[in-house]
Amino acid sequence: MEIIKCPSCGENNTSDMEFCQNCQARLQPLTGPLKGEDKAIKPGQIPTNKSTAELEPLLPKWLKDARDSARTGEEEKPAQTSSANQMPAQQAAPKKPSAPAGDFLSGLQAQSGDDEDDEVPDWLASITGDTSKPKSAAEETTDTRWVEMGNRNDYAQEDAAADADTPSWLAGLQPLEPHTEEKDELTDWFRTAAEEQKPSYQDPAPIFESPVEQMPPAKPVDDTPDWLRQMAADAEAKLEPVQADVYQDAPEFSLDAPDWLSNLGGAAMESKPESAQPVKQQESTEFPLETPDWLSSLGSVEIESKPEPAQPVEIPLETPDWLSSLGGAEAAQMSEEESVVFAESSLAGSEAEEIPSFDIPDWMKSSADDAKPLQDTTPRWLREESNLAGEPEVPAWLSGTGSFELSSEKAEETPAQSEDSEGIPAWLKAAEPHHFIEEPPAAEVGPLQTPSAEEERSRPFNAEPPAFEADPTATEDLFTEMPSWLSDAMEQPSSSTPTAITNTDALSPSELPSWVQAMRPVDASASQPASLSSDQTLESRGALAGLQGVLPAVPGYMPTSKPKAYSIKLTASDEQLAHAEILEQILAAETAPVPLEVFSNLRASRSLRWLISALLLIGTILTVSLRTQIFASPSGVPNEMRNLLFISQSIPDNAPILVAMDYESSRAGEMQAAAAPLLDNLMLLRAPRLTFIATNETGAILAERLMAGPLAVHNYTDRVSYLNLGYLPGGQLGIRAFAQSPTLAAPLDISLQPAWETPPLEGVIALNQFAAMILITDNAEAARIWIEQTQELRGTMPFIIISSAQAAPMIQPYYNSAQVTGIIPGLQGGAVFEQYNASRPGTARSYWDAYSLGMLLAVVLVFGGGLWSLISGMRERANAGEGK
Amino acid sequence: MNIPLDLLSGVLSFLFTILILSYLIGDNPLFRIATYLFVGIASGYVATVIWWQVLVPRLMTPLLPALNSDSLALKIFVLVPWLGMAFILMKISPRLSGIASLTMAFLVGAGAAVIIAGAVTGTLIPQFEATINFFDRDLAAARNIYFLEVAGNGAIILAGAVTSLVYFHFGARPQADGSMRRFGLIEIIAWVGRIFIGITLGAIFAGVYAAALTALIERISSIFDFITLLRTTFGL
Repeated sequence: MEIIKCPSCGENNTSDMEFCQNCQARLQPLTGPLKGEDKAIKPGQIPTNKSTAELEPLLPKWLKDARDSARTGEEEKPAQTSSANQMPAQQAAPKKPSAPAGDFLSGLQAQSGDDEDDEVPDWLASITGDTSKPKSAAEETTDTRWVEMGNRNDYAQEDAAADADTPSWLAGLQPLEPHTEEKDELTDWFRTAAEEQKPSYQDPAPIFESPVEQMPPAKPVDDTPDWLRQMAADAEAKLEPVQADVYQDAPEFSLDAPDWLSNLGGAAMESKPESAQPVKQQESTEFPLETPDWLSSLGSVEIESKPEPAQPVEIPLETPDWLSSLGGAEAAQMSEEESVVFAESSLAGSEAEEIPSFDIPDWMKSSADDAKPLQDTTPRWLREESNLAGEPEVPAWLSGTGSFELSSEKAEETPAQSEDSEGIPAWLKAAEPHHFIEEPPAAEVGPLQTPSAEEERSRPFNAEPPAFEADPTATEDLFTEMPSWLSDAMEQPSSSTPTAITNTDALSPSELPSWVQAMRPVDASASQPASLSSDQTLESRGALAGLQGVLPAVPGYMPTSKPKAYSIKLTASDEQLAHAEILEQILAAETAPVPLEVFSNLRASRSLRWLISALLLIGTILTVSLRTQIFASPSGVPNEMRNLLFISQSIPDNAPILVAMDYESSRAGEMQAAAAPLLDNLMLLRAPRLTFIATNETGAILAERLMAGPLAVHNYTDRVSYLNLGYLPGGQLGIRAFAQSPTLAAPLDISLQPAWETPPLEGVIALNQFAAMILITDNAEAARIWIEQTQELRGTMPFIIISSAQAAPMIQPYYNSAQVTGIIPGLQGGAVFEQYNASRPGTARSYWDAYSLGMLLAVVLVFGGGLWSLISGMRERANAGEGK
Repeated sequence: MNIPLDLLSGVLSFLFTILILSYLIGDNPLFRIATYLFVGIASGYVATVIWWQVLVPRLMTPLLPALNSDSLALKIFVLVPWLGMAFILMKISPRLSGIASLTMAFLVGAGAAVIIAGAVTGTLIPQFEATINFFDRDLAAARNIYFLEVAGNGAIILAGAVTSLVYFHFGARPQADGSMRRFGLIEIIAWVGRIFIGITLGAIFAGVYAAALTALIERISSIFDFITLLRTTFGL
């Protein structure tokens, strides 16, 4: 079997499946007349009217299943013949027009049959054709109040369940059955209203703007559902068709009433010629709509009733606008203080103004004496509605009848019950509050002035009296007239002892509309006593005032006195307060910054620094300025200097000597003092050709300073006696390159002239051709580099290092390894060599006293400080030991 | 009136010496002026030296003659530094900085080779030999040094070298009490090495102090020489 992949969800389905098993999307394309029907409508495209039955294949699978189950359920139900007599026209009109485009109720029938728990109201059942279930009196209790919606049997149903084109819920439309006492009041109301008047309907119904169902403008003739059409027909059979102007503005009216309802009126208006007399719905044959019996009976009931003078009708708050406007249509003409108020829709007010007056049922007429409280909370019109039997309950607006005439009998019985009417369904009566919230005096209340029955009868249908007229004061009445149930509740607080709320206040089950009773849930625990306690004590105060047996009456359980008032002030003892204060201090200490301990020795170090500085400066200044020679010249010759004396003697005369300058300008004083004696000795004894080269940027200028300073007495001339090759770049690489090929590494001198052709470098092309090499440096690193890079290329050339005192200890191993011929360590070395150079130039000697004094001071301070630290440490340890 | 250059240089040297010595009272604007001037002048002088003693004679001067010569090798020899300079300048652009890696690689490689070779042949091996030769009697005699002296020196040097190296051994092991300690013998040797290291550091500190002291003396002396010069010049 082939596998089909769902285009919506991608689920795999078998080829024989029409709908996807996962998302219920259509798998198989539509064929035949429905080919292409499932495509989406493009903007601007005018939808075409389609019969609902024809479009059934397009429905989703779940909806189709619901409809099928509904059909099967209908087939199982006993044939409903109760409405056969009521609406013979409906049976005689088997013609089932195609469902209008706006038939959105097509699925209701299918779904309603599946729900076994929900009982279809009678009026709905008569429309749809389903038979209402018999009400079970055992399930109902007096404690539960329900509004009867009507029995299915109250409405005519058609036998067209097998018709595929007709929706299943329309198929069961049968003539209305004479309803019993259990039928809902709405049925009677509808019937009464239908009998009284037949509102004229204008076409068309408003265009549905739903994107789902883009249906063309409703055509009352073609698009009216079959059941509705049947209802209209029945209504015409009973009542005269009344073309009222109630629904002239059907498009506006449809906001509150369904379109099918408005279409019904429009169809009635179209099909039925204008008639000045109200005709029974049953007798109306021209009414194209299949008006249910209950709807048509409303008009007949109204016609049969005595005409009564126009009475103000107080429209309850909860009554729809269209309903209230029925009675107030004529009243608006008479007085502007009509109170046609419906809280449900604001448009009804304006709408009602255009609606021609109708014979408003008595129950819809509000009287000035509506403020009369009622002991019995059951609305009269609700009770009286239940008394109506065997009459179709078809609302006039639904059946297309003319004006509604309120039952005068009911109005006379209870003036306050302005809505008294034989044909008013109970549920509608129950929905009508007798008293408004604000209960103004009767004189202030603008009653809904409905036209009297005589006036309505006399008024021809051609005049199209508006069924509902807007009452400017309706809005005020809405908030001024208190419903009876509310007024009763407000009267009770004045009594000292509340009356017990008994079940007598509740509507008796028999008075409830059948459809309301049908909607009541089965209370499994209803049979149980409401109160587990046997105590039926009446609660006299509190929120439960008036209720019995709510709380068990336990002796002594009731508060006997006023509760004792306790102070919110914390009572704590003094000890507790003290502890709390300590805790607060501890917590505050946690967040408080801890002051840093100041070290006192900072001050001493500064003063000590000043002292040391002063001593050094004073000693140096004195010794230098006075040129003292207190301290003896250094005696003894260091080992590293022993060979230097011989070197100066072993170098031939006028020999080229390479002098490498690699020290910073800050060390110039020390280095010059250390190098001057050796160079002076060599220049004095051997007159060598000196060649200076520097490995730092300032070396070249320092060489010039050396030659112009302590060695100036020898009158060496640049490029004649000595040559300055300048700066040698590259670091170790440059030194290595110079050692390998000096002519290539440093071809020019400091003046950018060829250097290797000058007299100082005559006959020298390699490093080993120099007679000696002298390195003047102030750091051991430079000395190491020169030693390492020239180790293999120097040969036997003497290598002398004149270093600073700080670098001498680290260059000593190179002397010990015989890599360096000799070392002159700083000022001391210079001073020693000066002794062997006849104290020339004498710089070292002039510095020697200051140098010696400074060194002595340093030794004293270091030794003394160490001793002081040792003594203080011992003292602290002794104190610490004594402390322990 | 011609101001002698020596007088001018003397005045400036005296002035800057005083400014630097003002650091004794703490950091002050005078000291900062002197330091800033020194940094600026030194930087300018270095730039001048680099330009005139490196770039011009080694990069620019040989260019034209090499291009005009017929020698290909000479041309390549002259153009290679230009190419290297161009590659180094590519570091300015993050996208082209990879090209500079070629020159940097050559410099780093050549420098590493020179350094390693020099260190091995110029320091390690000679120092090893020197340490061993301390206990050579023949060398001591050739150097006219008493063997005991040489041996003693050698022993001290050897001991100092070994103990100093052991001091930097941190291979500790957990002890029974949970603490981390080195082996006992190593601890003793390291303790001796600590002494040699301390002495070495002390000697270095002394040398630094001596150098600084000498610099101070030289500066004081120069000040007095300037004063004497002024007295001589102006007959004070």
